Amino acid sequence: MLDPLEKELADMIMEICRFQSPPPPELSPDAALIGPDSPFGLDSLDAVEIVVAVQRKFNVRIDSQETSRRVLQSLRTLAGFIRSRRERPAG
Amino acid sequence: MNPAFPHRQSAHCESGVAANLFTFHGVPVSEAMVFGIGGGLFFAHFPFLRINGFPLTTFRAAPGRILRRAAKRLGIDIRFRTFRDADEGMAELDRNLEKSTPVGAQTGVYWLPYFPPALRFHFNAHNLVVVGKEGDSYRISDPVFPEPVSCRADDLARARFARGKLAPRGKIYFVRNVPAKIDPAPAVTAAIREVCFLMTRLPIPLIGVRGIRYLAGQVASWPSRLGRQGALPHLANLIRMQEEIGTGGGGFRFIYAAFLQEAAAVLEDDRLLGISREMTAIGDRWRDFAAAGASRCKGRDDGNGDFESLARIVRECADREHALFRELGSLVRGGRHAGGK
Repeated sequence: MLDPLEKELADMIMEICRFQSPPPPELSPDAALIGPDSPFGLDSLDAVEIVVAVQRKFNVRIDSQETSRRVLQSLRTLAGFIRSRRERPAG
Repeated sequence: MNPAFPHRQSAHCESGVAANLFTFHGVPVSEAMVFGIGGGLFFAHFPFLRINGFPLTTFRAAPGRILRRAAKRLGIDIRFRTFRDADEGMAELDRNLEKSTPVGAQTGVYWLPYFPPALRFHFNAHNLVVVGKEGDSYRISDPVFPEPVSCRADDLARARFARGKLAPRGKIYFVRNVPAKIDPAPAVTAAIREVCFLMTRLPIPLIGVRGIRYLAGQVASWPSRLGRQGALPHLANLIRMQEEIGTGGGGFRFIYAAFLQEAAAVLEDDRLLGISREMTAIGDRWRDFAAAGASRCKGRDDGNGDFESLARIVRECADREHALFRELGSLVRGGRHAGGK
C-alpha cells in the first residue's frame, strides 16, 4: 500500500516514462525502482529523468551518484529522501 | 581491520579514497576538498579516441592525477608502487597491513565480488583502501559502499592485476609522511588557478570550454553524420559518462561547487560562495541536458530533445563556464589570494 507521497511519485514516474496504464494497485513501496527487478522496467537513463523531475517538482537535489543509487532503490526510499530534505532547516 | 580507519561513502572513488586516507593520517579533509585541491574538474572531448566504440568525453582530470596533485599540494608524501608479479604485489600489501598501514589500491571493478552483478563492468581504475586482513579475507574500505566490505585474497589479486585498458598492474599507494602543519590556502589557490587555466586558456579546441563548444557542434551533427541509429547510442553514452560514472552528477560540477563553498571558508572570501552557487546552477543545466537527452533516447520527448536543442544547452553551459572560470581566475590572481604554487 502506497502512502500519498509514494503514490504521487509513482504517478510522476508513470507520466515521465509515458506509461499508459496507472500503477498496479498491488504495487509495493519496497519494489525495486530501477533495474531488471523493477516492475516499472526502468533503466539508468530513466533514472536521470526521474532525478531531474524530483528536483523540479519537490525542490530537492539528488546530487551524487551514490545518493542517487541509494535514494532510487524504491518508492519508499525516494519518498523518505524527499521528506528528510523538506524537514532539513535551510542554511 | 584497523578500527580507526574513517570509512566514508563518496560519489567519486579516487577523491573519496584520498579523503579517507588523509583523514586517517591526521589531515581531515572532505571528498570535495580533495577533488578541488587535486584540480579534479576538467573537460575534454576526443572524437578520435574511442572507448567501447564511442568518443571519449571526460569531465574530470585523468585517473590518478587528482590524488597525486592533492597530496603534492598539501605536502603529503605518498609512495606509489606497481608490480609485475601478483604474489609479490600481494606480499607487499600484507607487509604494510602488518604495520597497520591502510593501503590504497587500484582495481578492476569487474573482479570485485562484493559488487552486485548489475554494477560490475570492465573499469580498471577503481580505487579502494585495504585496511586489514582476517584469515584469507581482506577488509576493504570501498567508498562506493556505505560500510566496509570483505574480499577474498584471490579475488582481490585478480582485481589488482586485471588486464585491459588502464590495467592497474597491482598498483598500491600509502602515506609515508604528513607535515606537522598544513596551510590549505595556498593549495586551494594553486588548484583553482590550474583549473581556470585548463578550462579557459589552453589553446586546444578539444579541451576546456572550447571542448564543450566543440562537443555541442558534434551533438548537433550526430543525426546527419551518423543517422538516427548511430546518434542515439552516442547520446546515451555521453549522458552516462556525465551522470553515472562516479561523477557526483552534473559531470562533477556539483562536487566542484561543494569544493568552492569550502574554499570560501579556507580563503575567507565570500565571493566564492556566489561562484559556487553558479557552478551548481551550471551543473543543473548539464543535468537538464542529460534529462532531455535521455527523453530523446527513449523516444518520448516533446520536441525539446532534438539534437540542435540539446546542443544549445551544451553551448549555454560552455558560455556560463567560460564566464565563471574567468571570474574565478581573476579572483585568485588578485593580490589577496596570490600565493600558492
